[in-house]
Amino acid sequence: MNGGSVVAMIGKDCVAIASDLRLGSQAVGLASNFEKVFPVNDKLFIGLSGLATDTYTLRESLRFRVNMYRMKEEREITPETFTHLVSSTLYEKRFGPYFIEPVVAGLPDATPLNPNPKPFISTMDTIGCITTPKDFAVAGTATDKLYGVAEGLWEPDLEPEDLFETISQTILNAMDRDALSGWGAVVHVISKDKVVTRYLRGRMD
Amino acid sequence: MSRFNPYEENGGSILAIAGQDFSVIAGDTRQSLNYSIQTRYAQKVFPLTSSAVLAVNGFAADGKNFVKRVKQRLERRMFPFYVYNILAGIEEDGTGAVYSFDPVGSYEREACRGAGAAQSLLQPFLDNQIYFKNQTLAPGAEPFVPGRLPLSTVLSLVVDAFSSATERHIEVGDGLEMYVVMAPGRSADDLTAEEAQQAKEWPSELTVEEMESLGDEQEEGKAFRVFRLSRPLKRD
Amino acid sequence: MAVPGGGAYSFSLTTFSPSGKLVQIEHALAAVQAGATSLGIKAKNGVVIATEKKNPSLLIDDSSLEKVAVICPNIGFVYSGMGPDFRVLVTKARKIAQAYWKVYGEYPPVKVLVADIAAIVQKSTQQGGVRPYGVSLLIAGWDSHRGQSLYQVDPSGSFWAWKASAIGKNMVNAKTFLEKRYNDDISLEDAIHTALLTLKEGFEGQISEKTIEIGIATTPTSPDQMEAKSGERLPPTFRKLTEAEIRDYLAL
Repeated sequence: MNGGSVVAMIGKDCVAIASDLRLGSQAVGLASNFEKVFPVNDKLFIGLSGLATDTYTLRESLRFRVNMYRMKEEREITPETFTHLVSSTLYEKRFGPYFIEPVVAGLPDATPLNPNPKPFISTMDTIGCITTPKDFAVAGTATDKLYGVAEGLWEPDLEPEDLFETISQTILNAMDRDALSGWGAVVHVISKDKVVTRYLRGRMD
Repeated sequence: MSRFNPYEENGGSILAIAGQDFSVIAGDTRQSLNYSIQTRYAQKVFPLTSSAVLAVNGFAADGKNFVKRVKQRLERRMFPFYVYNILAGIEEDGTGAVYSFDPVGSYEREACRGAGAAQSLLQPFLDNQIYFKNQTLAPGAEPFVPGRLPLSTVLSLVVDAFSSATERHIEVGDGLEMYVVMAPGRSADDLTAEEAQQAKEWPSELTVEEMESLGDEQEEGKAFRVFRLSRPLKRD
Repeated sequence: MAVPGGGAYSFSLTTFSPSGKLVQIEHALAAVQAGATSLGIKAKNGVVIATEKKNPSLLIDDSSLEKVAVICPNIGFVYSGMGPDFRVLVTKARKIAQAYWKVYGEYPPVKVLVADIAAIVQKSTQQGGVRPYGVSLLIAGWDSHRGQSLYQVDPSGSFWAWKASAIGKNMVNAKTFLEKRYNDDISLEDAIHTALLTLKEGFEGQISEKTIEIGIATTPTSPDQMEAKSGERLPPTFRKLTEAEIRDYLAL
């Protein structure tokens, strides 16, 4: 495995998703610019931590499916529907799975029927079993550490700037105790009218 | 063919944090084996002397035996026990001290340490909150110095850390037992005063009792004080 | 080759006639024109589809006849033309809807299902060894993206969206009738009555709850009607009217 971690958190009318930047081969670090979070559309991101080759393969396969969806349905895919799409994509390989644990984070568009949509995060195991937490979702080699810190730092209804601080502190401190994650991080904070992406410098050991 | 394995892993977690003139040491009270809970109250934290409290985590049978022997004679030759130890107390210079040990006896003095089943959940949180890791100083602010947090802050951090570990780790829960050791002459008001216990930061459902003298003779007016604090944790 | 019946171009499904027609498809349309009349009306807050259900013999147990079919909780079909061909398309449509659910965790928007069914119908105008479907479909449904909608699919594979339309034997008269009656603000209740009146226009024999079928698509009015509570299923937005309901509408 190549190591790496992803975390997503819900805030007040916003969501954040972050990954570390390390790509490694066992204990050897290979690259410090390997982002594991990718945009699906303006307000929807997916983090793919696990085997690096599957990160790319799955990203391309999902890009294909989302583009087909966009053209066929003449609309953007919602975070919830996208989660099901990822899940069924993973389950297609039930007996030879992608070594990926995805984390989805998105802010659904307001519609006449649903004028105040709630921020959405979800996560899956390698074969697509979905969980949709109300607080935060973690995945990757620093899973337990992320759980420990996130459980201690996260609180409900954080504003975008506070959510950024919380998710950043969570991933930085979890990463520092994980030999296979680290070498900096990238954080996306998605709110109603903008996405703010910031790169964090971390310990380089 | 399976080899005989004399050890068990009985879950649970312990942690200790040092202050300037006190130290706090804590453990949960669940004892489990695999997916079964053996008891919801098993002691992991043991007052040894009036200035030192030991927390033991790992194989519970070894832990019990280990504490018994340590109490008999305070020497450190006793290590094929499958236990992780954290010792908290007051150093001779009056500072709060935490020493952590591995099963074969390597030890280190630290400002804080988490150990046991939920070590991976506790430690990065403590790194952040006790060692101020990854925190940047606001311009003109006092520099961070680990080991100088007030007792009230330390207590709520310990409770938060264990509540978090209880939430996400099946082997941690049921009850939290903490000991606070105070340097001679230090006021205990921040622990026992009504005002301190009414403060917003004070953890809910926390009971405080002062320990009786632990047998060793203490000079009048220069006595260490040890308090036992306990609080329920989630039982699921 | 001037032979009665259309000549050389009339048998090969995939050979254009010099005038640019595929005559087999024209024949399939003729089969539709011979079928019982069906119609659909899109209202402000829903869609109604309705059809005649003529029982050819007194001896047939009419409980087995079904002409309005539920495809999934938000979509229903009605047809004019050949019954067996319709049932094949209904089965395929139901499978498409369930396959969509398996992937996306929700039922397809009406237009997506219509496009998929139209693609199947189109295939049978081009593929070897098959004949075109002898049906036109009226498809009614509701989805969160486009709201309520009414579509028609023809044997050629063409499809359109309608505000109101009719297919089958009495199509021309029914459409003229609908054009006079339709307005953009019509409510579902009024649309159901208009549908009944339109059917009555060309109806031979006694109209009753036994001789017509009606399906309605309704529009949820608040978000909680779209969010299933745990352990509960979302109420369907498309359903067939019961005989008792039809009787009540006829009585008014």
